[in-house]
Amino acid sequence: MAERLKWVFLAYRLPREPSTPRIALWRKLRRLGVVQVLDNLVALPLDARTREQLEWLADEVVDAGGAASIWLAEASSAGHERELARRMSDAIAEEYRVVIQVAGEAAGQSEGQRRRTAERLKRDVRAIRSRDFFPPPEAEPARRAVAALNAVLEVPR
Amino acid sequence: MRWATRAGCHVDRSACAWLIKRFVDTEAEFVFVDDPDEVPADATAFDMRGADLGHHDGDCTFETILQRFGLDDPVLWDVARIVHEADLDDQRYDAPEACGLDVIARGLSMVRDDREVVEIAAALFDGLYEHRRRALLLGREPA
Repeated sequence: MAERLKWVFLAYRLPREPSTPRIALWRKLRRLGVVQVLDNLVALPLDARTREQLEWLADEVVDAGGAASIWLAEASSAGHERELARRMSDAIAEEYRVVIQVAGEAAGQSEGQRRRTAERLKRDVRAIRSRDFFPPPEAEPARRAVAALNAVLEVPR
Repeated sequence: MRWATRAGCHVDRSACAWLIKRFVDTEAEFVFVDDPDEVPADATAFDMRGADLGHHDGDCTFETILQRFGLDDPVLWDVARIVHEADLDDQRYDAPEACGLDVIARGLSMVRDDREVVEIAAALFDGLYEHRRRALLLGREPA
């Protein structure tokens, strides 16, 4: 049997009100690039960093009056594992497509604006890469689009 | 006094160990454990789940320790800005130094065990502290 990926799961429950901790948690989960397995159950491929990040969030859930637990797991079927990886990859691909589109649109902007867009896209790509566990084909074109935008700006005037 | 933290020292834990040793308890001895249950009874836990000296309200453990021990040295808070971004990367602060610090700490933990990481990182943070101290005194980046 092929070696299965190890995953770290965060199971959590937060009171419906107040909504601020719910929204804060949702934002942080999104930034980490988790895949939603079910309501209130999210996963990341296991490594020292992902496990620690989810553990901190589990503490935050508990601090906010909720309940949370961390589990290490592997899928018992290769199909489920592929499904999770595919959903993560699809979500990241969409983020890269936005980068490519914005970089394309920046061509028509004034120089100052183009510079700001280029700076923002560089940061965006760095953030996306930090949660890109299963790089989709869009990763390289996105990187190139941002590099091209920066190259235009570096031409001496 | 003994201090316990989780094994696998990345940037926040290395920075905290330095902070504790230099500014809180010069006699500090560190114990590295895999689970909160393994923290020795006489040790103070930091940067692990359930420890008071951990992440709180979006602060990293380095910031929590500064607050708990009333360390108000502005240089330490400037180092905290960098450690926070290296650890959490949540853009709360502008810290272009953070990426580099994170990579160095991460790489160090790949080739050295925790005890060595803490020792080597101490020199690194001594240097970072001195750099930020001069920057604050001069009001610009030191040469």
